[in-house]
Amino acid sequence: MNTLTRKVFSLVALAAALLTMIRPGQAAEVDEVTDLAKPESTFSVGAGYVSDDNRRFGQYTGLRDNGFYGLIDLDLINRDEETGTWTMLDGRNLGLPNRELRFEHNKQGDWKYFLEYDQTPRYEPFQATTAVSGIGTPNLTVPAAATAGVPVDLKTRRDTVGLGFGKQLPGDLDLQVRFRQQEKTGERIFARGTPGIFQFTPEPIDSTTRQIEATVGYTGKKLQLSGGYYGTAYDNHNTALNITETGGATALSGFTPIGLPPDNESHQLFLAGGYSFSNTTRGTFKAAYSRLTQNDSFILPSLPGRTDLGGKIDASLLQAGITARPMPKLSLLANLRYENRSDKTPVEDYFSGASTTATGENEPRSIKTIAGKVEANYALPAGFRLTGGIEHDIKDRNFSAVRVVSAREETEETSYRLGLRRSMSETVTGSLTYIHSNRTGSDFLTTVLTTGAAGSNLIAPVHLADRDRDKVRLTMNWMPSEPLSFQLMTDYAQDDYSSRTTENLGIRKGKAENYALDATYVFSDTWQGSAWISQNKNRIDQATSTSGGQLWFAALRSTGDAFGLSLLNKPTKKLELGAELQYASYNDKFGQEAITGAAITSPPDINTQITGLQLTAKYALQKNMGVRVVYGYQRWSTDDWTWATWTYLDGTQLMEDLDKRVHFIGTSVYYNW
Amino acid sequence: MNLFSMHAARGRVARHMKPSKGWALSIVLLLSGITGLIEPAVAEDQPANEVKPVCTTCHVDTVEGPILSLKKTRHGVKADERTPTCTSCHGASEAHIASIIAGQQDKVKPDRTFNKNTTTPVDVRNQTCLTCHQGGKRIHWSMSAHSANDVACATCHKVHTAQDKVRDKRTQTEVCFTCHKDKRAEIRRPSRHPILEGKVACSDCHNPHGTAGEKQLVRDNVNDTCYACHMEKRGPFVRTHQPVQENCAICHNPHGSTLPNLLKVRPPYLCQECHEPTSHRGNIGSLTGTSTSANLAARGCLNCHTNIHGTNNPADISNERTFRR
Repeated sequence: MNTLTRKVFSLVALAAALLTMIRPGQAAEVDEVTDLAKPESTFSVGAGYVSDDNRRFGQYTGLRDNGFYGLIDLDLINRDEETGTWTMLDGRNLGLPNRELRFEHNKQGDWKYFLEYDQTPRYEPFQATTAVSGIGTPNLTVPAAATAGVPVDLKTRRDTVGLGFGKQLPGDLDLQVRFRQQEKTGERIFARGTPGIFQFTPEPIDSTTRQIEATVGYTGKKLQLSGGYYGTAYDNHNTALNITETGGATALSGFTPIGLPPDNESHQLFLAGGYSFSNTTRGTFKAAYSRLTQNDSFILPSLPGRTDLGGKIDASLLQAGITARPMPKLSLLANLRYENRSDKTPVEDYFSGASTTATGENEPRSIKTIAGKVEANYALPAGFRLTGGIEHDIKDRNFSAVRVVSAREETEETSYRLGLRRSMSETVTGSLTYIHSNRTGSDFLTTVLTTGAAGSNLIAPVHLADRDRDKVRLTMNWMPSEPLSFQLMTDYAQDDYSSRTTENLGIRKGKAENYALDATYVFSDTWQGSAWISQNKNRIDQATSTSGGQLWFAALRSTGDAFGLSLLNKPTKKLELGAELQYASYNDKFGQEAITGAAITSPPDINTQITGLQLTAKYALQKNMGVRVVYGYQRWSTDDWTWATWTYLDGTQLMEDLDKRVHFIGTSVYYNW
Repeated sequence: MNLFSMHAARGRVARHMKPSKGWALSIVLLLSGITGLIEPAVAEDQPANEVKPVCTTCHVDTVEGPILSLKKTRHGVKADERTPTCTSCHGASEAHIASIIAGQQDKVKPDRTFNKNTTTPVDVRNQTCLTCHQGGKRIHWSMSAHSANDVACATCHKVHTAQDKVRDKRTQTEVCFTCHKDKRAEIRRPSRHPILEGKVACSDCHNPHGTAGEKQLVRDNVNDTCYACHMEKRGPFVRTHQPVQENCAICHNPHGSTLPNLLKVRPPYLCQECHEPTSHRGNIGSLTGTSTSANLAARGCLNCHTNIHGTNNPADISNERTFRR
């Protein structure tokens, strides 16, 4: 029995002892009506068993190792009826590594404060077999040649503490303050490389993020305002990754230290509000001004002699909107948003003479967005509504003249929307929407080299390219009879991109299809079943050229099929049964073809299947106490080749379970009062 | 699928099944006097001390129309003077009461109803809630996509029950996926946020009540929303990657992906959607080969360009400008 298991059993034993102290007949004496009207507290304790070590089933819960785990939940609520004061303690998964606990005390309509803790693990699904040492620290020792290693599991963990305070103030004012601090620790996949030589250098994670938001609100009948301050700070306790090679030296020796994410901060002042001019007309707005700074000390001396970047971005947001119903059947909406992210970081020549395709200067990135929307909504007979709208977005960016990527400074996109909706009907409701968007923009800038010669000017980047998008979306809810209902959702979107050259390089087409159907049937007062099935299909067609001039094409296809079935049954007053089956299958295809020159091959498809089954039973030993049993099963199978052929120079390999089945059985006792 | 949530399972069967003792409860209710605590005034302007049990004379506590459980909620706290009565939300409903007294076969419905087959217009229903809940994070409701699409507050929220599924991280997605079914499949993909485990909820990123920003995001834009948890990507850096600064969603699908790190497309294809095909950048996708040829294996282009979100290393010993250090 390992330490964790012993701890778990200690907790379980303690909780079980507590439970025995509760008189079984106590709740039976409670008046039935009071019971129905009083906030209910609950406590449950039990244990679970995981059948196998695994990397997916417990990726975010921590149920990764074969063995026993504690299952402890509590939800304690006490309300003072006279004063309206609530005291609440909510604990979830307290016996598991994804535990969370929240305490709140408030007098409703007057004041409140809370304190919360949350732990979120993330286990890397790929296990490393490596001889690299120092993993998790900023100082790594990496073999210069392939060396037999040992299994290492990479993981991160977020520990978050939050606290908050709220107070209702005179004059319809209120004050809210929220603070959240998160410690993230662990390590993640990272590497250093130069053509043909790659070393495994996991990134150490040890950082603190903080967020604070203080808001004063005013809520009047017509006017509502909310203004305050939102500040964030990122503090990385590791500044650089220092790598030492053993057993020789490689071409990567100079790739140290590696810069890790720098400390940075943001500060925002904001004011948002809404005003109801009448029962049918309302306006809203938001104004915000932010400053982002990054002045963490450089890890190495810089050519310009600066000790830090002096990064500074000022961002402003202005939004105003209005909705109105000038006639009972007609609703109108108009919205305008202006956002300006102005990067005021000083420009210096950091990497002088480094390349013909880039200057040595840092490139501040400023982006300005103006987005407007108007929409009209008209009520037709038989519960139908017709919607029409136009949206227009303009984005401006800055670019350096010397680049390895093509660029245009401005893009603008206009979208037209037409929809028909029926939301008021006893049997059939639904909607049909068609959207056509057209994106264009300013001329592409001519890319030049530092020598002044023309660079490559062939590709229109995916987020800047001219694009026509057509999208159709259909939803339908059908209730043919009281116990039976269906819901259908389907959407289809198609993108056509314009190329800059006759070779038609870059992204050409995109397509996304989503289909989903749900059905629910209430068999009887004690039986209910539901089922859903869905399919996602994504397609991208794109082309590029090798440096030797061979044009080639990739038809990327990704398909996901999933379905779920659930059954709920209450065969007796004391027993509740549940079953839930879920299955998902994913297929990725890469469809490489030569456009010119010799034939090329495609990598194999990647297929992944995930099957999940959950069976639950809840039996009431008495009115407010009972037992719950849960059985879970997951099968994960894949033929993913991402890491299968890869070995780092130092001998490190990453592997995942190609076919893994995990069973879980858990039982707990609950008590409600 | 959340295996371990007692909360999620609690009452799930019962919600859809009829009680066997409704008649008994109604008698208890009438006798107990507790009804007065949740009982509305007959008229909305009637002083509270003149409240007489009316609604609960007929409306017993059923699963389809729970009454007493309302008192478990914040709406049931009479010590808070803002707490509504039945008529605050449902209207005085005089015609409804009169039709019952008259013993009409087809009784008139209350002034405002919120159930699935209601005939009360959506804006009337929503205005009922907004009368008290217009401020704070709901200021922008009128501009929201949900409002524009006639989504009623009661479509997502259950007011009469102690456990409002949409306000619980572990059960919230069940409500959101009722309409956003494409996302239900996406969040099950191999690379995903811990949504199924109840550690991340839709409302961590989106405010369904409307915001001033795009996509109803909780912050003013996509990047500021992502930075709430991924602040290390914010910079600015000595070397910045343009799309990183513009919009995280150019490369990532936050709802789920079959590729590591929520990438939309596998490198090198992703990188080739923007980068000019000079040097090795236009290489054909391959799992084998030397130098830069094996560009599909492991992390693809990121095998070398490891600091792809940006680097703050100012020394150009080994190509910091291309995110390798």
